[in-house]
Amino acid sequence: MFSKALFKQTAKANWIKWVAVTLATCIMLAIVIIVLGNLGINDIRDSLKDVFTQADQESYLKDNAVDLYDLYITTAETNEQMETFSGVGSVFINNLISDYDTSVQNYQTENGTAPDDATKKQIAIQEVDEFIQQYGELINNFMPDLDVNQLSGLLVNVLLAHDKDASLTGKSLLMEGYYLTVYENAYSLALLEGKTEQDAVQEATEAKNQSKIISMQLEIKDDYSDEAVKYVNDYMYNMVYQSQINQGTLKEDAKNYAVSVKVISNTALNTYLLWLNEGKTAEKAKTEATKSISDQIPEKVAEALTELGDMDMYGLIIGSIFYRIAGLLLPMVFVIMVANGLLAGQVDSGSMAYVLSTPTKRRTVTVTQMAYLLWALLSMFAIVTAVSVVSVWIVGGNNFAINFAEILLFNLGAFLTMFAFAGFCFMCSAIFNRTKYSLSIGGGLTIFMLVCTILGLFGSDVVPSAMRIEAMNFFNYLSIITFFDTTSILAGTLSYLWKFAILIGIGVVTFITGVFSFDKKDLPL
Amino acid sequence: MEEVIVVKDLTKDYGEGRGIFDISFSVKKGETFGFVGTNGSGKTTTIRHIMGFLKHKSGDVKVLGMDAWKDSCQIKKFVEYIPGEIAFPDLSDGTTFLKNYAEMLGLKNMDKADYLIKKLQLDTSANLKRMSKGMKQKTAIVAAFMANKDILILDEPSTGLDPLMRETFLELVLEEKKAGKTILMSSQMFDELELTCDRVALIFNGRIVDIVDIDKLKNSEVKFYKIEFKNSLDFNKFKKLKYEITRIQEQYNQVTIKILDKDVGKLFKDLCKFDLKFISEVKHNLEKYFKEVLTKYREEKNV
Repeated sequence: MFSKALFKQTAKANWIKWVAVTLATCIMLAIVIIVLGNLGINDIRDSLKDVFTQADQESYLKDNAVDLYDLYITTAETNEQMETFSGVGSVFINNLISDYDTSVQNYQTENGTAPDDATKKQIAIQEVDEFIQQYGELINNFMPDLDVNQLSGLLVNVLLAHDKDASLTGKSLLMEGYYLTVYENAYSLALLEGKTEQDAVQEATEAKNQSKIISMQLEIKDDYSDEAVKYVNDYMYNMVYQSQINQGTLKEDAKNYAVSVKVISNTALNTYLLWLNEGKTAEKAKTEATKSISDQIPEKVAEALTELGDMDMYGLIIGSIFYRIAGLLLPMVFVIMVANGLLAGQVDSGSMAYVLSTPTKRRTVTVTQMAYLLWALLSMFAIVTAVSVVSVWIVGGNNFAINFAEILLFNLGAFLTMFAFAGFCFMCSAIFNRTKYSLSIGGGLTIFMLVCTILGLFGSDVVPSAMRIEAMNFFNYLSIITFFDTTSILAGTLSYLWKFAILIGIGVVTFITGVFSFDKKDLPL
Repeated sequence: MEEVIVVKDLTKDYGEGRGIFDISFSVKKGETFGFVGTNGSGKTTTIRHIMGFLKHKSGDVKVLGMDAWKDSCQIKKFVEYIPGEIAFPDLSDGTTFLKNYAEMLGLKNMDKADYLIKKLQLDTSANLKRMSKGMKQKTAIVAAFMANKDILILDEPSTGLDPLMRETFLELVLEEKKAGKTILMSSQMFDELELTCDRVALIFNGRIVDIVDIDKLKNSEVKFYKIEFKNSLDFNKFKKLKYEITRIQEQYNQVTIKILDKDVGKLFKDLCKFDLKFISEVKHNLEKYFKEVLTKYREEKNV
C-alpha cells in the first residue's frame, strides 16, 4: 500500500516548492503578529470607547442634576402649600386622623389583632376617599393651586406617617407624609427603569433624605429656581469632590474634576430651564437637557462608531484576513501544483509509466502520493504553528489580543481547510488524464473559493457596518473556507467544531474518491 | 513451446473507426515478435493493454497466464518496458532517476546498468529535462534492460537514435534474444525488425493484416528477377512468354518477374534467345512483402 521509493521520488521533486511556500508563509505570519503586537492598533479603538464612556457618564450626571432640581422645586412648592394647608385645614386634618384611628381601633376589636401594614394602607385610602368626597370642593375653593388627586395620595401617606409617630402634628406631619410620597415615587420609578430592588430602595431613601435636607433650609419665595440651581450645583460638586478624595485622588485633581462636573450640571440645568420657559413639558425639557455627545450625533453614525469601538482589529487581521485569506494563498498554490503533479501531471507527460512499469500497484501509487501530500501539508502547518506560537509569545503571550488557544485553533482551522482543498485537488488529479483539466477544475475552483472569501469578507460580521455591504455576504456561501469560522473561535462559542468536522468530511471523501477512480481508469502511458 | 504473451480477440473501440479490433496473436518463450504499422494503426494501444494500463472491453490479454489488467502488478515482476513516448519523473539527473527506478524495481545489482551505460556511451549526469531525444531514449533503454527480466516490451525503442547507436541498440536486442528473453517490439523500421524478429505482425487500421515468419520470408522459394532488354523487339517478345510479370518499365525495356526456384533453369534457357542488357535478382524483403500484402488488403477491403 505504500512505496518508500516513490515517496522519496515525490519528495525530491517537490521539496523546493515546499520550502519556499513554508518559509514565505511563516515570514508573513511572524511579521503580521509581531508588527501588530507592537503598533497598538487598538489605541484608536480604545479612545473611541472612552468618548462613549464619557458621554454615558455625562448623560448620567445631567440626568441626576435635573432630577435633583425637580425634587428641590417640588419640595419647595409642597412646603409652601403645606404651610397654608396646615393652618386652614388643621380642623379637617385632625378629623381625618381621628376617623382613621377609630377605624384602626374597630378593626382591632373585630379581628382581635392589630392590622398589618397593607391593611392599614387600605384603611387609610378608604378614609382619605371619604374625606375628599366630603371636603374636596371646599379645599379646592381655599387652595385652587392644590391638585386634589395629588392631595389624596399625600394624605394617605400623612395617615401612615401619623401611624408611625403619633406625636407629629401640623405642618411637620404633612411634610412627613410628603417625604413618604417622594420615597414611593422614586422607588417605583427606579423599578420601572429596571433597577434592582436594593438599588431602588437606596435611590428612594436618597431622594427622601434630599427632600428633607432641602425643606429644612427653605425660605418662602416667589421663585425657587435660582436657589434650586445653586443647591444642585453645590451638591454635585461636593458629592464628586468627596468621592474623589475617598478614592485617594489629590485634592487639586479632585477639585478640578468636581468643578467640571459642576459645569456639566449647570449646563444641564440652564438648558432645562430654557426649555421650560419655552413652554415645553418637563419631560421634553429633561430629554433636551440630558443629551450627551452620543445623543447629538445621528443614530446610525453613533451605531457605526460604537461598532468601530467594539471591533477587534487583531481578530480581523490575524483571523479573518491572515488565516482565512493571505496565509492560505501560498499553501493553496502549493497544493494545486503538487496535487496535479502527483497523478494527472505524470499521466499526461507519460512519466507515470516509470512508476507503473515496476511492480507497484495503482493503489500503492495513489496512497503513497496522498501520504506525501498530507505529510507536506502537516509538516508545513506544524512549522507555521510553531512560528505563530513563538510570535504570540514575543508580543506578550496570553496578554496579547489573541491568546495561545485561539492561535492554535486558527492554525488547526487553516490546516483543515487546506486538507479539504488538498483532497479536492487530489481527486481532480486522479480523475483526469490531462493536466489542463485537472488544473482548471481542481485549481480553478480552489482559487475561485478564495476569491469568494475575499469578496465575502466585505459582507461578513467582522467588518464594521459602516464598511459592510450585506449583499457581498452571498459570496461566503460559495466557499468552503466559510466552514473555517474564526469569529466563533474568537467568541469562544463551539459552532466552529461542527464546521471543522465538515471540512474533515470533504477532505476524506474527496481523497477516497480519488484513490478509487484512479484504480479503475484507462491510462494513456 | 510455452506461450508467454497471448492476445485473443482484443477489441478497444474509440469510435469513428479508431481503436483496435479483434487483435489475436501470441508470443512464445524466447521468441522475438515484431509489430509494424503506420502511425495510429494501434501498435501502442495493443502494447498498453499488455502492460495493463488500459482495460480491455472484450477479448483476452494474458501474460505468463495472468490477466494483464487484474494481475498487472504481478506481471511487472517479469516485464521490462520502454514506452512509446518517453517522459521521466521530475528528478534532477539521469543518475538519480536510474537509482530511484532501481529502488522501485527492488534492484540492487547495477552491473548491467553500468555495462549498458558504457555500451550506449550515455552521460547519466545530464539534466533530465534538458536531454536530447536520443539521450532520453538511451536512458530509457538502460532503465528497461538493467533489471534483466524475462520479457521485454519495447514500443518503438530506436526512435531518436543516430544510425550508429541504432546498430548498437540492435546488438543489445540480439544479445537479449540470445539470452533467451521473450521480446515484443514495435517499430516503423522494417530492416531492424527483419534483423531481430522471428515473426512480425502488420497492423493496419487497428487490425492485424498479416503475420509473417521472417525465416520463411528469407528462404522463400519464390524469387524476383529484373531483366532489361537491348531492344524493344525482344522486350515485346519476352512479354508474350508465360512468366508472371510483376512490374513493367516500358521506357527502359525492363520487366520484373516472379519465379519459383525450380523454374529458373527454364528461364535462362529462354533468355538465351534474347539480347539482354542485364539480369539481376531483386531481393524480396519484409518491406516489399508487406507493401504487397497491404495493397492486396486495401483492394479487397476497399479502404
